[in-house]
Amino acid sequence: MPVVFDLELCDGCGKCGRICPGDVIYMHRAEKTAGPNGSGEVVRINPQRLDVGTHLDKKSPYLPRPEECWHCGSCRQDCPRKAIRIVFSPDMLCM
Amino acid sequence: MKFRELETDVLILGGGLAGVNAALGAAEMGADVMVVDKGHIDRSGDIGGGVDHFLAYLETGPAWDTPDAFLGYVEKIGKGTNHLGHIESLYCAELPAAIERMARIGNPLTQRDGTFYRTASMGQPGPYWINFNGKRLKPKLGKAVRRAGCKVFGRCVTVDLLTNDGQVVGALAYHFRANRFLVFRAKSVIIATGNTNRLYENPRLNPFNTWLCPYNTGDGQMMALKAGAALTNMEYMRMTVLPKGFAAPGFNALVGMGGRFLNSLGEYYMEKTHPMGNRAPRYAVVFNTLHEIRNGRGPIYIDCRHVEPEAMDHLLKTLGYDKDTLPEYFDQRGENLRTKPVEVMVSEGMQAGPTEVTGSGIKIDGEGAATVPGLFACGDAADHNRCVHGAVTGGFKAGKSAALYARNRRLADAPPRAQVRETADRFIAPLHRKSGYPYMQIENAIRKIMAEHVGPTRTEVGLKAGAEKLEKLEPHLDEIQVDNYHDLMRANETRNLLAVGKVMATTALYRRESRNKPYHHRLDYPETDDENWCGLVVVRQEGGRIGCSFEPIVYRG
Repeated sequence: MPVVFDLELCDGCGKCGRICPGDVIYMHRAEKTAGPNGSGEVVRINPQRLDVGTHLDKKSPYLPRPEECWHCGSCRQDCPRKAIRIVFSPDMLCM
Repeated sequence: MKFRELETDVLILGGGLAGVNAALGAAEMGADVMVVDKGHIDRSGDIGGGVDHFLAYLETGPAWDTPDAFLGYVEKIGKGTNHLGHIESLYCAELPAAIERMARIGNPLTQRDGTFYRTASMGQPGPYWINFNGKRLKPKLGKAVRRAGCKVFGRCVTVDLLTNDGQVVGALAYHFRANRFLVFRAKSVIIATGNTNRLYENPRLNPFNTWLCPYNTGDGQMMALKAGAALTNMEYMRMTVLPKGFAAPGFNALVGMGGRFLNSLGEYYMEKTHPMGNRAPRYAVVFNTLHEIRNGRGPIYIDCRHVEPEAMDHLLKTLGYDKDTLPEYFDQRGENLRTKPVEVMVSEGMQAGPTEVTGSGIKIDGEGAATVPGLFACGDAADHNRCVHGAVTGGFKAGKSAALYARNRRLADAPPRAQVRETADRFIAPLHRKSGYPYMQIENAIRKIMAEHVGPTRTEVGLKAGAEKLEKLEPHLDEIQVDNYHDLMRANETRNLLAVGKVMATTALYRRESRNKPYHHRLDYPETDDENWCGLVVVRQEGGRIGCSFEPIVYRG
């Protein structure tokens, strides 16, 4: 993921999702759902995948289309909780 | 389908650097202003995340630091691509106020001690680049725009201009988070939607890994063309030299501080092949770098090891001003400018002006007015604006001109509602298709065709092949299927990319010479022919067909 959120630090304010120039960051309220293969309850943030161990009482950011990120760093600069890191993908680092 | 109707004096499409400066210019003249942007004006556009350079002469005494010397530079590197008179009124006349405005909104061009840090590159006769910290420039401008009373509509993509009786009277936009159409009626409209990226095959694989903003896809130029406006300089395909793997700007800073281009034989090839060496005009650096790569002398590096420690400290500190994430990229990749050369590569192509001082796109006059009544343009979407300095000065000028045009004018009638609905229906059709292709599949084909046939070397046969292939692809635009509002916005971008590609192929075919190689390099007409081609290729669309004409430019001598 180009943008990595520390979901413990994140308070769900949604600023990253508002200012992202590419409409790449969306907010989603975590919901409890059944885990894979009946492994009990997990918390789902990204509607497209499962995230375990995050809070239910706030919205969390996720990237439905990470490949569209321009790596401009606006979200990281503007995050009031400093909860964002930029991590470059292997193709960008190794080519 | 939901429609919301709005009325304003001046409507600005695109809230990047040019758009927000236009908003400030129009508001200062007392106009009601609305701004439409696909993102959020605090961080949208090419410099949303920050910027570190502004091109200016400052009249400090030396001969190179005067408007005359600057215009001489414009003529030298951009001969045949712009009217100097337009540059004088859009840039020179606006420059002192622009520098003052940057300070007033809280992002001065000066260093902490009040001085300007100036460097030279790209063929400049003196250090025209002002190096500054523009990381918070957009948020500050956004605040100034809201404080000036302008209304801003984020996450809205403009679907098309509204015209009536040969005049631009507003625009139809779509809010892609709310799935709602907005019908803007305006006395004048300014297009500030930037240049066209994502148009050429990307050497870094991901089409969104572009130098300039990948969300700028020529939407404004194409809606202007459809509305009857002329475009110029569309044949030029801009490229630059960028870090390998990450299309981050930084070239100005590296070369400005003394960086040297190095090939894999250990030769500083720019110093051997161009009288200005590493500080040659950008197109010359790209041309010579392509030559090195084609002849097997890649990989190419930029060598900064010799830069004095003090200058290197400044360079490393400011590198992240231009691209916030570039220092992390170098860290994560294991690059160190102090100890080893950093690998660079030639960027993807794009539709953009052939120099830092010449634009490409909507044909404007010295007031920023397009050739259709009620329409204005600025920034990278216009043919006489370019770069940060052009957006700040030309944007403000266009804002003032559009406000003057709107003054004492009544709001014109909107086109018939059925016509607006038809445009909206066409836009939203990909969402209702039961089957079809992802927009990305069509886009990949466009990029491949452009890179192979409308790229850095061109021939009549190749350009015709490119145009034919794009035409063959065109009907398939109506087979794109999406299942969400975000992708619906992207599908509209795909449509504009193809339209821009066709215009580029047509204009490149028309200009039977080469100019600013490799931005327009015809292998069948390899020389620059100032006798016949010193001027603009003007393109218009009539009855669905694109036609070209030539507008000579005469220099005083």
